[in-house]
Amino acid sequence: MRFLERTNDEPRRQADGDNDSGDNGRLQQFRSQGNQLLAAGDAAIRSALSRGNSEAFVRAGRQQSGE
Amino acid sequence: MTGKSTKWNAPALPKLCGADIELGNFIVDVDHPAGSGYEASQALLAEIDGFPRRRDSYSYSGWSGSTYTAPAARNVHSESPTAVGWGYNPQDVSRRYLASTGGCGYIDLDHCEACLPEILSAYDQVAAWHGMLRIVRSALERANEDRPHHQRIQVLVNNSDGLGHSYGSHLNFLISRRTFDDIFRRRPHYLQYLASLQISSILVTGQGKVGSENHRPPTPYQISQRADFFEILQGPQTTFERPIVNSRDESLCGFPRAGEPWAAAARLHVIFFDSALAHGSALLRTGIMQLILTLLELGLVNARLILDDPLVALQDYSDPTLKASARLIGGERFTALELQRAFLEDVKRHAAQGVFEDVVPRADDIIALWEDTLVKFEKGDLMALAPRLDWVMKLMAIERAMEQSPELEWDSPEVKVIDMLYSSLDNDGLYRAYEESGFAEQLVTPERIEHFATNPPEDTRAWTRAMLLRRAASEGVEVDSVDWDRMTFRIRGRYAWPSYRTIDLEDPLAFTKAEAQPVFDACTDFSDLIDGLRELSSGQAASPQVLTAN
Repeated sequence: MRFLERTNDEPRRQADGDNDSGDNGRLQQFRSQGNQLLAAGDAAIRSALSRGNSEAFVRAGRQQSGE
Repeated sequence: MTGKSTKWNAPALPKLCGADIELGNFIVDVDHPAGSGYEASQALLAEIDGFPRRRDSYSYSGWSGSTYTAPAARNVHSESPTAVGWGYNPQDVSRRYLASTGGCGYIDLDHCEACLPEILSAYDQVAAWHGMLRIVRSALERANEDRPHHQRIQVLVNNSDGLGHSYGSHLNFLISRRTFDDIFRRRPHYLQYLASLQISSILVTGQGKVGSENHRPPTPYQISQRADFFEILQGPQTTFERPIVNSRDESLCGFPRAGEPWAAAARLHVIFFDSALAHGSALLRTGIMQLILTLLELGLVNARLILDDPLVALQDYSDPTLKASARLIGGERFTALELQRAFLEDVKRHAAQGVFEDVVPRADDIIALWEDTLVKFEKGDLMALAPRLDWVMKLMAIERAMEQSPELEWDSPEVKVIDMLYSSLDNDGLYRAYEESGFAEQLVTPERIEHFATNPPEDTRAWTRAMLLRRAASEGVEVDSVDWDRMTFRIRGRYAWPSYRTIDLEDPLAFTKAEAQPVFDACTDFSDLIDGLRELSSGQAASPQVLTAN
């Protein structure tokens, strides 16, 4: 299940003057720029996935109930 | 009357705000039935410099002789049965006030808790919050310096451990006593209106969470971390049967005395929201509350926006598909987005009448951000909101991870680890990575954040608190006790016996830098400084008529 992509699949209302090919070009540019900015986060994700025993980490994260 | 009296005379009080945030803290690779929070929080707090609440105590209960508690509510800061008087209270251990910022840190039920100084602007609160996180991050680095890697302390800025335990990220707001009574004792629709606003605002304030807890139906992901843990509409308690609207009554404005305008003050303690790292989530959390509380103070309550069953609506609105709707008392069904839009339209209409002037700093900017955020939701452009809102940013990160590693499922422990590390203060934090790369939207500048990591706000009593602590440290004056609204110093006398000098800082809107700096500059002797500040305080007293305002 992909929540973000499913939401973006909803048809958008066509605003006056919207140009499909222009929108696609801008979207590609936005995605490219976005991917560059996301690279650091991707590295952090890879680091998180390479931790080893994820179940042990989750168990170690047990907290007292607070306020 | 003085200018300060004018503030207290206004129909709506300036929306002074504060925050106290419990952090998730544990030692990695320690699997103990009770967790390792005790050791982790102690080690973390030990690296945060500050002045203890009481010079001669190892711990102190939540009661402060200088803090008034309304007789009708009889709330106590601590819900521990040992809270009254001296003695160990697990809900307030080793509290220390920071001379750098005027805020404080302590341990609350094995969580290191960071308290921000009183502040007027929501934008400044975001900066002060991130400034405090820098302080905690530095403390974490020092605490981990000599620890082997497998025994490192981990600090998460979140609200649940995924194992059924929740902890809070509290806000508090200055409101009039009359409004407090209206919400909790006189006008039930005020309470319900506030609850409806809070619940629908998880759309823009939630941090997001993988899974569910507290016997709630399973879900892969939800918008709110805290939604699973709210079980009643209102109440004074904070650690069990958590209420959506908390009725804790602790003004932190000293004992009410006739003739003093701040006797008509109350402090709304808000336990509802998730911890926020993204600037947009943090700003909207505080800013929207400032706006709506102003409307409550002015009696501008639109009862048509009240949810019929707030607790069910909260669960439904936590669905990240955003399709869930909830019934209002008039019978219509609104999604969270539609309800937020309705609240915003009311706010915009009243803003045009100028109701937020001198009450909510930068109200127009907050409204514009809220509007822009809702427009993006209405267009279905969630990716555009990822840099601004925590739950969207976290969801994006998890979905990217699942794209890169197709074997991952929502119930994979690795996905839960990503959920947890989103808010890590260490180098492994995902939000931190997005912030450093420039992906996360910056609504306050790094310079402003750094300013608040080392300085108090200049427009509240926090400034004088910090300056007194600094002056005491530089002159070797002992701080006998310090609290939000009172400080006592032990001054070495000419002969054997010391003298104790107390300054009451009861008015949170007073003792600003503009008012107090001349006194600090003029008084070189510490006792004279206290005298000068007391004269400043006595000069603020207004006529008894102020007490009948509102």
